[in-house]
Amino acid sequence: MSQSAVRIRDVSKLYASTGGELNWALTDVDLDIASGEFVCAIGPSGCGKTTLLNLIAGFLQPTLGTVQVAGVTVDKPGPDRGVVFQEYALFPWMSARKNVEFGLKMLGHGAAERARLAQGLLELTGLAHAAERYPFELSGGMRQRVAVARALATQPQVLLMDEPFAAIDALTRATLQRELLRIWQELKLSVFFITHNIEEAVFLAQRIVVMSPHPGRIQEIIDVPLAYPRDRGSPDFGAVYARINAAFAQLAQEAA
Amino acid sequence: MRRPAPLRQSAAAETLSSGGPASPAVVRPDASLSRRERIENDFRREQRQRERSGLRRQLVLGLAGVLAFLALWEIAPRMVPGINTKMFPPPSHVVGVFYDMAVRTGDIWPHVGASLQRALWGFLLGAAAGIAAGVLTGRILVLRHLTDPVLHGLRAIPAIAIVPLAIVWFGLGDLSKVMLIAWGAFFPVWINTFFGVRDIPAVYLRSAATLGAGRWATLTQVALPAALPFVFAGLRHATSVSFVVLVAAELVGAEKGLGFLISFAHLVFRVDIMFVGLIFLGGIGFLADQLFAVLLNRLFPWYGAEARR
Repeated sequence: MSQSAVRIRDVSKLYASTGGELNWALTDVDLDIASGEFVCAIGPSGCGKTTLLNLIAGFLQPTLGTVQVAGVTVDKPGPDRGVVFQEYALFPWMSARKNVEFGLKMLGHGAAERARLAQGLLELTGLAHAAERYPFELSGGMRQRVAVARALATQPQVLLMDEPFAAIDALTRATLQRELLRIWQELKLSVFFITHNIEEAVFLAQRIVVMSPHPGRIQEIIDVPLAYPRDRGSPDFGAVYARINAAFAQLAQEAA
Repeated sequence: MRRPAPLRQSAAAETLSSGGPASPAVVRPDASLSRRERIENDFRREQRQRERSGLRRQLVLGLAGVLAFLALWEIAPRMVPGINTKMFPPPSHVVGVFYDMAVRTGDIWPHVGASLQRALWGFLLGAAAGIAAGVLTGRILVLRHLTDPVLHGLRAIPAIAIVPLAIVWFGLGDLSKVMLIAWGAFFPVWINTFFGVRDIPAVYLRSAATLGAGRWATLTQVALPAALPFVFAGLRHATSVSFVVLVAAELVGAEKGLGFLISFAHLVFRVDIMFVGLIFLGGIGFLADQLFAVLLNRLFPWYGAEARR
């Protein structure tokens, strides 16, 4: 846990909207994600949480400051950082298996090796039985399982997740959250997970980054000192929930 | 692995049977299951019947429409006084000529063959160039901006207006027809491919990038398949354009082909032969279009589902 998987220093990101108006999506962000750590970012829309993820992924470049992953400055997307998007990011013309195999193919694995590794990943995410189905034949929850398997195929050390379960019903979401924690512990990944759901953040994260808008910035970083698996009904869980809720209430007051 | 447990059948059966008046508090699982099956079977049968009768009605109405059209065509020329049936040959006469040309003498087939061959080569040439141009201009910004005004300018010229120019350049033979059809087919394929490639959801490209795909792999394995349904829409449009241009070119100068047949029939004042030529053109065009419709559903089952989401 000592070495930083992701290191963000003095990062600011300036945007020009289509109207030509300038807008600081992020200002002066410092954040370290330790190797094997699970960090959630939470905040209202416009707080820059997706921008932050896009910077780590390499889809965007910071206007100021640096983003490093495993000690190397990020300048483009790469297979060392897996990304799970909100939804509809699977290639619809490929079966679940082919989607998972895509990254392996890009790494130059042969067909037999690809099939073997993809099978393992689909088993890991609980979708081996639906490997030959196409995304349009899968439910939202199953699609996100494939998306996780696909993102893990290149064996990234960092997994970036942009509200991956936001569009999924609450019961399925709870299952997916439990399984994500299992996979995270099994593979010892560093996870950066964006959500707008306080309960989700408290259930998943070791640390929660509370962000606020106009300009986008980190408001507060809250440790979650609860052991896994967590019990949503426990008083400790409620205490952390209340703390984050209070942080947002204060934010709303400041804005008013 | 770790899927939610399936709904217990007996539980579902219980709720169903407890609603029925015949079942008391004690539930016999066997009896309730068979009752459930019976209801399901009835439901399925009704469903199938409804589907079939709907389909039948559609078929009957379609057929009735065709018959009404033929009847009108048969009767109308006889009802109007002083009309020349040589000018408006009724279907009963056209059928005879059609039979003569297609079966008895087989005179029409060389014309059909010549036309099909020209259309096919021109279409293939234009479609190949259109796909290449569409992918390149859709993906490479410099190329897009460089070629945009020229291609859109050329696209605005009706293909038929180029017929005389093609004859001057390529003569009266097959080459000028093939080139003209290629020209006509190019534009719809290009523009559809272009839009398909340009408007690929960013999330596909980002996914490809995080999975380690380079430029070439992204182009061939992500951009092109994502755009294929659009390419197909372009190809489908291009088939109909191909026939329009084909006939225009054959009307002007040819010694074979359906367009030539129609213009020849015009010279010898055989309206019935014209009709046979038109029927063949319509039939071939219809079949080509249907072929693309079927292929689209067969090759891209995901496309309709994605579009509906």
